[in-house]
This record gives sequence, C-alpha cells and structure tokens, in this order.
Amino acid sequence: MKFSKLAVMATAMTMLASGVALAGEVVWWTPNFNEARARELVTKFEQANQGIKVKLEITTTDGLPQRVLTALQSGAAPDIIDVQHAWVNGYAQNGLVVAVDDVLKDREDYIPASLDYGTWNSKLWAIPYRIETHAVIYNKGAFRDAGLDPAKPPQTWDELVAAAKTLSKGKVSGFAITGGGEVGNTIFRSLPFIWMNGGDIISADGKKAVVNQPAAVAAVKFYTDFFKNKQSPASTLENDGTANRRLFIAETVAAYQSGQFDVASIRKENPKIDIGVMPIPHPAGKPTAALLGGWSFVIPSSAKNPAEAKKLVAFLAEAPNQGALTDTFPARKSAMSLPRFSDPILTVFKEMLPYGRAVPNNKNWVQITQAYFDGIQRILLGDEDVQKAMDGAAKDIQALLDQK
Amino acid sequence: MDRNSTGLVFVLPALIVLAMLIAYPVAYTGLLSVTDRQGEFVGLANFRAVLSARATPQAFWNTIWFVGGSIVFQVILGTATAILLNQSFFGRGIVRSITLIPWVVPGIVAATTWAWMFHTEFGIINYMMTGTGMIPEPIGWLTNGNTVMPVLIAINVWKLFPFVAIMVLAGLQSIPKDLYEAARVDGANFWQEVRFIMIPQVRSVIVAVTLLLVIWGLNSITIIYAITRGGPANRTLITPIQIFRLAFESTQFNQAAALSVIFFAVALVIVIIYIRALASTPGEAK
Repeated sequence: MKFSKLAVMATAMTMLASGVALAGEVVWWTPNFNEARARELVTKFEQANQGIKVKLEITTTDGLPQRVLTALQSGAAPDIIDVQHAWVNGYAQNGLVVAVDDVLKDREDYIPASLDYGTWNSKLWAIPYRIETHAVIYNKGAFRDAGLDPAKPPQTWDELVAAAKTLSKGKVSGFAITGGGEVGNTIFRSLPFIWMNGGDIISADGKKAVVNQPAAVAAVKFYTDFFKNKQSPASTLENDGTANRRLFIAETVAAYQSGQFDVASIRKENPKIDIGVMPIPHPAGKPTAALLGGWSFVIPSSAKNPAEAKKLVAFLAEAPNQGALTDTFPARKSAMSLPRFSDPILTVFKEMLPYGRAVPNNKNWVQITQAYFDGIQRILLGDEDVQKAMDGAAKDIQALLDQK
Repeated sequence: MDRNSTGLVFVLPALIVLAMLIAYPVAYTGLLSVTDRQGEFVGLANFRAVLSARATPQAFWNTIWFVGGSIVFQVILGTATAILLNQSFFGRGIVRSITLIPWVVPGIVAATTWAWMFHTEFGIINYMMTGTGMIPEPIGWLTNGNTVMPVLIAINVWKLFPFVAIMVLAGLQSIPKDLYEAARVDGANFWQEVRFIMIPQVRSVIVAVTLLLVIWGLNSITIIYAITRGGPANRTLITPIQIFRLAFESTQFNQAAALSVIFFAVALVIVIIYIRALASTPGEAK
C-alpha cells in the first residue's frame, strides 16, 4: 500500500517538474528586443485562436547560438525559436528542425535572399520575418570639420580611402573596421567588399576555396589597409560592431559600417552627432553589395506542439505582423509600406536591401569563416601579408570543403 | 554470501549512479568520435580531420604554455603568501580575508572586468600608464601577439593563487610547534625554518594542489573565452576552447569528440607521469 502511494506521489512530482509546458501551450523563444511587440502579437493570436495558449520565453543574443543548439540537441526544445538566418542550415542538415513549406504563403512576396538561407535539400526549414543589411554611418560634423561636404559622401573605394585619410586627425579615426569579437562581425563587414569586387570565399558550387584569388585579395587588402594606414582605431583587433558604435558615440570614429539598429542608441547617447548614412562604397564601375542578415522562426523536431506552433508561425508571417515584430525591416515586400519604415534616416538602409546577399549554405560555414577571420587577424597583427594570409586561409578552407 | 559480496550489494546503487554519470558520457564521447552526423561508423576520419587542422598543434602548445606558466606562478606566489599569512602581525585576519577575494569572484565576472581594464582605448590600465607617462602611447595588451598570453596567464594566476595560499596555510598550521623550537635551539634563522621545516612539511599539500591546478588548467575555458575567444589569430587558443568551438560554434560534435579523446589521452599521460614521479620520491611526509 505504502509503495503505491509513493509511486503516485513520485509520478505526480515528475509531472509537475516536467509539465511546465501543458498540452496545447506553445512555447516561443524570442530575443529580449522583441519582447514588448511579441506580447502584443501573442495576445492577438490567443484571441483569434481560443484554446491555444502561448508562453513567451525571452532570450538574450549573447551566447544564444550555443543555447539554442544545446536545447535542440538535448530534445528539450521549445515549440518555436527565433534564430538568425545563417544558423538555420546547420539545424536542417542535422535534422534538428522540421520543414515548413506548408506554412509559407505568398513566396513571391519575400525578398529572395531571405528564403535562400532557410533552404536545404529543396525544402524550406525556416520562415524569415526580419531582414537587414549594413550601410555606412558617418558623422556629418566630422566631415565638415575636415573640410569635406557631408552631403556628398564617398561613393567609390578610392573616394572612401581619400575621405578616411582626410578625416583621420588627432584622436579621430576616419573609417573603423572590425577585427575582434565574434567572427560574424568581420564577415558582415568585409565579405561585401569581396563580393562587389567579383570575388568570394568559396566558389558557387562549394567545391573550391577562392579567397586567395586576386579579386578577394584586393578586397581584403582594401579592408585591412584602413588599419595598416592608421585610419581605423588602434584597438581594431579587439573591436566588434558594438565597440565601433561606442567609439563613434565618443566621436573618436568618424564613419563605420553598421545597421539601422545603431541609429537609435547613437541619438540617445550623443544627440549632438549629426548622423549621416551612405551606401557602402564600391569599386568604380561595379555595383555595391551587402550581406543580408536577420531573423527567422524555426520549429524544432522535438517540439511538443508542432501543429499549434505552425499555426502561430503562419500568423506571425502575415505581412502586417512581420511589419510589427521586426526591429529593422520585414522579410516581405508588402509589409515595407507600413508608416514605421518611412523615417528618412532609413532610406539608405532600404536602398541597400536589394544588394543584400545570403552567405553560402555550407555545413562547415562557421569553420570556413573562422579560417578566413584568422587570416584577417594575422594581417592586422602584421604576421603575414595579405596574399600569404589568404593563401593559408584558402588551404584551411579547402581542407574543410574536401571533407565529406 | 560472504561479508565482501554483501558489501558489494550495498555499494551497488552508488556504483550504478556513478557509472551513469561518469562512464556513460565518456563512452558516448568515444562513440561520437568514430561516427558521423548520421551515426554511421567512419573509422578514424574525425581524428584525421582534427589533426590536420592548422589550429590543433598551435592550440596544444598554447595549452602547455598557459597551464605551465600559470602553475609555476600560482604555486610560488601562493606558497609565499601562505608563509606570510602564517606569521603573526596586526590585521592578519583582514589580510587573510582580502586574499581570498579573487578566488571567490565568479570567473566570468573577473574575466569581463579584466578585459575592460586591459582594453586599448577604454581600459584603466592604459589610462593610468599613459597618464603617469610610464608609456608614451596605449599598448594593445590583448591585441599584441607578444603580450596577450602573458596577460592571460597573469589573470589566471591572480584568480587561483589564493586557493594555493589557503591550502598551504592549512598545511603550515598543522606543523607541530616543537619543530620550530628545536630548530631555534639549534640556531636556525627564518629562511632556514622555511627551507627545512615549512616546505618539507607542506610538500604533500603542494603536490596535491599542483595536481588539482593541472586538472583545472587543462579544463579552463572561462577566462580565455570571455576575454579573447582564443584570438587574435589563435594566439590564445587552447585545446579546451578549440573543442568547445568545434562543438558549439561549428556543430561538429563528432570532430569535437575526436579531439576530446586525444586530449583525454594526453592529459591522462601527464597525470600518470606526475603521480609516478611523486610515488617514487623518497621521504615524503605521510
């Protein structure tokens, strides 16, 4: 008798402990910057879908890739996770998320590059809802002080180099690049230069490392020379995008590449700065390019309520809801006409979107970028010249591509 | 059942729990290291892949440097501190408590704080050194290939020498007073007391602590990962961080497992050599 009582109690305890997510309750992990807007959308969704409860869990971006991966691998994942586009392919190839082709509606309304990220094995594994690219943010006051016309920012590489040279005076660095922090920071900022010069890190068929070809080497030289020529701060090797923004706010950096999310914090922390935005300068006669970033929804294979999760994702993917949730731009063109995207400071960022490209879907992409980034750091440290560093990176990358 | 096997039955539940907690992860890592993502057997392919990576030998030498450099200074500084704190002087209690602070501060907090203090532009260290004219322009402590590893070793020493100090201090306090008295009757001075009484008496403590430091050092990720992530250009990449990166940044769990197996074997050899060397030393205080 006693034993059966114990068993009942133990079962009840286990259910209490593991039953945090009740049947029909969809658990959605979203980053902290989405919290307020996500709550509004959840309320709307719950009103329209009686019987489905949504539980929001707020994540932070620092360390998020590791946290998501651990949750997916352990099988104790939520029902929906907000992840960056570039992470999706790794999950798909490891069978950690489910295909969502049946959730996608109005395919032609999406910016194509945003769907490229989530595609593998001719299936779609994530629904993109937020996209963004970089542009160059510059300090109009610093341009005036240096005798440059802030209304006519540089358009080509040569003009940017000349402007950076003129702007670098005393404590001010003309054009800050990144060389530290997480690898993605430097990929986001230097890969577009390689692309617009006609190069790439790996060939289109994913079989050959081409980062040591002349087009890529010239672009890497262009990028790293800003540091070599002391136009990027002395701390470049430890600076990521956030550090550059801080230096820009402190008015020791006159221009740097970033997304529109930086504008609000610059305005708040140093309202004196007259912010200008220019498209990323390109080689004369060639179009500009940018790396398309942003966020998608994935549904883990181990989700407890995949059917309800798909319903919520379909709801969030509707154009007005994408427009409401995104911190930058929505992945759907029709949502772009919402009034919140008409602020004039956003014009250039919006103009950059069509030039946005997806990174290749290679299962070893993170290691490939690490090998490339190590090469960049060797150049910045002065260990190796550009050609030698990129030859070394190409060798490492080729070994990764040759792996089965 | 004789007495012995009855005893075995009693420890069986504990053994099963231990096996699940220790043997299972070890065995599973071994299995991961010889399979691919789909779980199919691939022989030594993962081992070949990690061993051919340029970062692997570099990380191995960095690990030796980091662990070796840290331990030498941790033990010397820790033992010296213990001997100092064993003397009676005014305010000894307070000094003893303050000494413990680095060890008590969570690793991630300490690492982040030091990273800021050593930052080229915003760091207080460069601010004070340029302000007083000690150096003409800011030094990139964490970005200069020659300074970054010594700086990280210094931070690691700062973090763990209090542990050595406390352990050695405990050892020092168990030394019987009559040993000192006998020595003083024979005319020994302070340095002779240190050399012939204190060090031999706490030798076993130092040996045990050093072994712990080796194990911790070979497993340490927090400080380096939080400050440099192994950069710049892998100058501070140590093997545990390489394993972490492979698994959780590159999702190459199988290669990470292969590297873990190699690392486990190397660490095992180091520990065995260390213990053998100790067991063969005569005159150890038991």
